[in-house]
Amino acid sequence: VTPSEGASGGPGREWEMESVLALRGLVLLRDSVEWEGRSLLKALVKKAALGGEQVHVLGCEVSEEEFREGFDSRVNSRLVYHDLFRDPLNWSQTGEAPPGGPLGALQVTCKRAGPGPVTVALDSLSWLLLRLPCAAICQALCALGRQHARPGGGPAGEPVRVLGLLHGELHGPGPRGALSSLAQAEVTLSGTGGQASAHILCRRPRQRPSHETLCFSILPDLSLDLQGGPPLEPHPDPHRPPVDPTTHLTFNLHLSKREREAKDSLTLPFQFSSEK
Amino acid sequence: MAAVATCGTGVGKTGSMVMAGSKNNVTGFQRRGPRASGSDSSYSRLVSIAGTRPSVRNGQLLVSTGLPALDQLLGGGLAVGTVLLIEEDKYNIYSSLLFKYFLAEGIVNGHTLLVASAKEDPADILQELPAPLLDDNGKKDFDEDVCNHKTSESNIKMKIAWRYQLLPKMEQAGPVSSSRFGHYYDVSKKMPQELIEASKVHGFFFPEKSSSTPNIEPCSLTHGYIKLLQFIQNIIYEEGFDGSNPQKKQKNILRIGIQNLGSPLWGDDICCTENCDNSHSLTKFLYVLRGLLRTSLSACVITMPTHLIQNKAIIARVTNLSDTVVGLESFIGSERETNPLYKDYHGLIHIRQIPRLNNLIYDVSDVKDLAFKLKRKLFTIERLHLPPDLSDTVSRSSKQDLAEPSKLLGPGCGAMAGGKKHLDF
Repeated sequence: VTPSEGASGGPGREWEMESVLALRGLVLLRDSVEWEGRSLLKALVKKAALGGEQVHVLGCEVSEEEFREGFDSRVNSRLVYHDLFRDPLNWSQTGEAPPGGPLGALQVTCKRAGPGPVTVALDSLSWLLLRLPCAAICQALCALGRQHARPGGGPAGEPVRVLGLLHGELHGPGPRGALSSLAQAEVTLSGTGGQASAHILCRRPRQRPSHETLCFSILPDLSLDLQGGPPLEPHPDPHRPPVDPTTHLTFNLHLSKREREAKDSLTLPFQFSSEK
Repeated sequence: MAAVATCGTGVGKTGSMVMAGSKNNVTGFQRRGPRASGSDSSYSRLVSIAGTRPSVRNGQLLVSTGLPALDQLLGGGLAVGTVLLIEEDKYNIYSSLLFKYFLAEGIVNGHTLLVASAKEDPADILQELPAPLLDDNGKKDFDEDVCNHKTSESNIKMKIAWRYQLLPKMEQAGPVSSSRFGHYYDVSKKMPQELIEASKVHGFFFPEKSSSTPNIEPCSLTHGYIKLLQFIQNIIYEEGFDGSNPQKKQKNILRIGIQNLGSPLWGDDICCTENCDNSHSLTKFLYVLRGLLRTSLSACVITMPTHLIQNKAIIARVTNLSDTVVGLESFIGSERETNPLYKDYHGLIHIRQIPRLNNLIYDVSDVKDLAFKLKRKLFTIERLHLPPDLSDTVSRSSKQDLAEPSKLLGPGCGAMAGGKKHLDF
């Protein structure tokens, strides 16, 4: 087990973001009402598609046209869109619903996909969490991330990368904690004064987690522009306050003025001075 | 408990049980002498199993947890037939390390392993086990004749009085098994492949076993727990760990390791919601598991993400249902990381519960403040010491120091010393 410290400085920042983009497994994008994460999700999808990966998108919250807008034709042609928004309860089709729900259907599609790295974007994971039991989703996410490594006897490929968009306000601490324990990386979006920043927490297996805060912006053509560095107004980092161990004591460490004078004027026994 | 079991089933092996009226003797007093042929445990009737030793306090059969420091804190080791629950730290780094130490100790001692996980394939877990540090003494444990070999060496190395050369170098304490109890491991190296392949491991990887569609009845165990219990029961029965297979020549210990019990990957909801339907599933599982363990020669280590469990009452119930409970609290990401008190350590270890087995008193150590740190090769548990107060300003003459703000990290002095400048008594 080698402890790896959080990266700091110039080259470390790009490395951190690049390593997030290169990470396989579950990557959680936590957004909030003020700082939406769908544009970051689309930027990561575009980057994966341009990188030659197969991208599957499970769209639940927005329509397909809205998701596809902003992508150019190269990206759109590589995108495989599974639409749950138009007909979430599957009323229009008379065939039976696939077992395992929408995530099970996605898993089947990924299995049938050819070799090569696969990225799955879940838009959004919150939608699924509100409708399906949390334990089932956790199991399905782990199964999704794992199954590509053993595609029925072939050589072990890379595991699937799952990008899940999670809205922070919709869930209590339970599902949030459960999903973070499964995730390889968590990107929490926040920002100060119009500048969006991302706090990235990388949990590498058997290593210390590293975290980093970056400023970024999404350009109109949905490419990611990293501006590096923590936000301009550094709000106090909750991880590193200096701790004074003499606070919160139940006994009094100091003497009042009167007590100090009394102490000073005390004559010690067995002290033979001229007064005695 | 297990001590009684080994006595009871050891009838055929040692010949020191004598029937009073079986021979024509004048008196009823029979000499109890060692009648067994070729057995090395000539001083006791206990069948010695590799890797175990009786506790010095009450004779309870103990196995090592893989960390000699932890063994000492638990009163000598983990009792056979009991459960050790490890409450995971937040990022599951150190608890998985303790889990691997337990499994590695089983491999080194030749015990049978049962590894159950819902997150990682047990085969992958086995590849990550730390390598044992076998020094000269340890290597001798795997050989039979060592006395002759060593005495010839001693002629070269040091001058021993001539009589002492005849004694074997390695002291074989009487009823204890010959191999050492508790080994040290090098975390930076992996366990050699031949050792892993020579050991017997049963793996339970829940996603593979749960391929059938579960029909879950309400108020019953979660599907994952039912499967796991059936698997453990099958292994115990088939391999004869509960004494059901009397033809077995050599008794062995079954080490069960269950990882991340209670996490949503087992199908359990307790980490997700506070009021869940199957809130008794985990407690029922632990109850049945304890019954299985008490009637077999096995020891179990479970890691559980208790920091994720939403309902605190469940944690209390789980603690009561386990025998030994150890909690790990790592400093990563918490405010204690920057506390100068803890700067040498990586986390705290809390011994939350120690069982009373065949005993009226607890076997707790008197040290409550324990911290651990993971060096490059070794995981150590130490007593947390407050650093000495190195400041020389506690005398009356330096009253002006009282007005200064507390300086925590004074340059050049001990970490805490600066902050204590304004103590006066």
